Amino acid sequence: MNNIIRTEHAAKSYTIGEITTTALKDVSMEIPQGSFTCIVGPSGHGKSTLMHLIGGLDRPSEGKVYIGDIEISRIPNNDLAVLRGKRVGFVFQFFNLLQGLTAIENIEIAMMLAGIPEHKQRVRAEELLAVVGLTEKAGSKPSQLSGGQQQRVAIARALANDPDILLMDEPTGNLDSVAEAEVLDLLQELHRQGKTVVIVTHSDEVAKRAERIIRVRDGLVAH
Amino acid sequence: MTPVKLVFKNISRRKGRLVFTLLGITIGIASFVTFMAMGGNLKREIHRETAALGANLLVIPKGSCGYEQLSILTGDQMPTNISAEEIASIRAIKGLTVVPFLAQQTAINNKPVTVSGVEPAATLAFKRWNVSQGAYFSSAEESGAVLGAVAARQFNLKPGEAITVRGEKLKVLGILEETGGRDDATLFLALPVAQRLFKSSDKVSYAAIRTEKLDQTEGYIEQIRVATGLGVVSDKQMLKSVLGIVGTVNITLQLIAAVAVLAAAFGIVNTMMAAAYERKREIGILQALGASQRMIFGLFILESGIYGVIGGVSGVITGLLAASAAAPYITQNAFTTLVKGSGNGSLLDPKIIAASILFSTVIAILAGIYPAWRAARLTPVEAISYE
Ligand SMILES: Nc1ncnc2c1ncn2[C@@H]1O[C@H](COP(=O)(O)OP(=O)(O)O)[C@@H](O)[C@H]1O
Ligand SMILES: [Mg+2]
Repeated sequence: MNNIIRTEHAAKSYTIGEITTTALKDVSMEIPQGSFTCIVGPSGHGKSTLMHLIGGLDRPSEGKVYIGDIEISRIPNNDLAVLRGKRVGFVFQFFNLLQGLTAIENIEIAMMLAGIPEHKQRVRAEELLAVVGLTEKAGSKPSQLSGGQQQRVAIARALANDPDILLMDEPTGNLDSVAEAEVLDLLQELHRQGKTVVIVTHSDEVAKRAERIIRVRDGLVAH
Repeated sequence: MTPVKLVFKNISRRKGRLVFTLLGITIGIASFVTFMAMGGNLKREIHRETAALGANLLVIPKGSCGYEQLSILTGDQMPTNISAEEIASIRAIKGLTVVPFLAQQTAINNKPVTVSGVEPAATLAFKRWNVSQGAYFSSAEESGAVLGAVAARQFNLKPGEAITVRGEKLKVLGILEETGGRDDATLFLALPVAQRLFKSSDKVSYAAIRTEKLDQTEGYIEQIRVATGLGVVSDKQMLKSVLGIVGTVNITLQLIAAVAVLAAAFGIVNTMMAAAYERKREIGILQALGASQRMIFGLFILESGIYGVIGGVSGVITGLLAASAAAPYITQNAFTTLVKGSGNGSLLDPKIIAASILFSTVIAILAGIYPAWRAARLTPVEAISYE
């Protein structure tokens, strides 16, 4: 199987003022294309940092990060932004949606940023809302949606530009078990359709569904 | 969704801030428009009035400065101390056409009006006036008034009717055809009558002179100075010194407008900084969705630019309304007569309107650069980091 994501000795430290925190020490790992992978580990040990690096949201302080054959740790900011828009769909734990926009507009934004014309955005956004079962919520603002519904809109938006990779940072972290199960079913279905799904999680419920598990502890990956 | 729609949605989320930011720009641009238009009018009027004088040289009291020269153009009251003897010695110089004027002010129905004492025949020839109603002065000392077209309309006077000037009843003899200049708003009296009414004995305020040979102006000026010791200026010098005065006034007005526009610009900076701060997380989400730094920068610049366009439009409208509301209250004095003279029509000049809106937009975009740069510089992780 091809590895769609790969890191080589990736390290990341943050310096704020005089204090340097090392979030990742030396991580070499790979994620096969089309896999369903969970990144697990205690809080504060570098899971989110790793996800940011492999999604091109941040750059490693040392080492290399690849998506396919592209060394994304070296490409210019603007190219990296384009790559994020086309190849990666993100879902975060909180505050995924733009509060001033409706559910359907939140999905359209992702397509707007990829340069898709307005009339095509609307059609595709409606399809995606149907996929996540929220057709009737198209005109609702995030504040009018439940936590589970908001996460489903965020997943629909992550799919907007048909990326091959979905990166989720505790997507069910603040959902009840019913909503969590719904979201996980949806993600499993997407995985069946060929997406590479990577979920950062605390939850055993979530980890149970994974094909592969990457354990992060103290900024290192335990194989 | 389009970037413009997104920006409008963002703008309309904070209605209070939108209103106050726009108010700032509106006030700034309104004062800019008003003062710019006024300044433009003043200059245009001064050029026109100078041309309407029809003189190459002006003889003015000794020690006069630019303000007396400005008074000639505006029809203000002037010191009257050039004697008949001095006029006669100027007339003795060959190659000059000399026309003396007495410049005074009076009131009709409590409204100020410029009074000009003239030598009827000499002035008619010099100014090439035409009479539209009634008759011109029939003798050099005929008692009675000839009115400019605008003055006749303003006071609703016809030939044969009577007016009172300085307690004396005078008949309206005739009304002049419109000239487009100051003369239209003037009440003309025969010089001896004016001198009697205004107790000026045989004195006049200034004299307009046309020279036979245009290239010898300097020589004539010297001759007049030697003969009389009075002040002499050429029309070009007068234009220069009067424009100099007006320029000072203009600069003052423009400074006020600049301060207002600057304050508005800082209002935009403030609004956009607050927006960048508040939307930190949203900026992060947009970046995660594929927005480049360029895109974020562009969205912020677009937003401040839209403030500029809307503020510019409402500023121009406010400026026009303010100018037309103020016009009736502008009383006659040296500057405002000139402003009023050309009417408010020139405020509606499409070029001024377009330039003001463009100016407002450019200022707003410049004001948006720093906040936009701050917003674009956020890294996605900084922007979405919880807390
Ligand atoms: N933007 C940041 N600036 C400074 N320190 C950070 C930043 N992001 C994460 N960290 C630090 O790096 C470490 C790992 O954080 P994180 O990757 O968020 O862990 P996890 O997701 O496993 O809880 C923590 O000590 C955290 O405080
Ligand atoms: Mg985390």
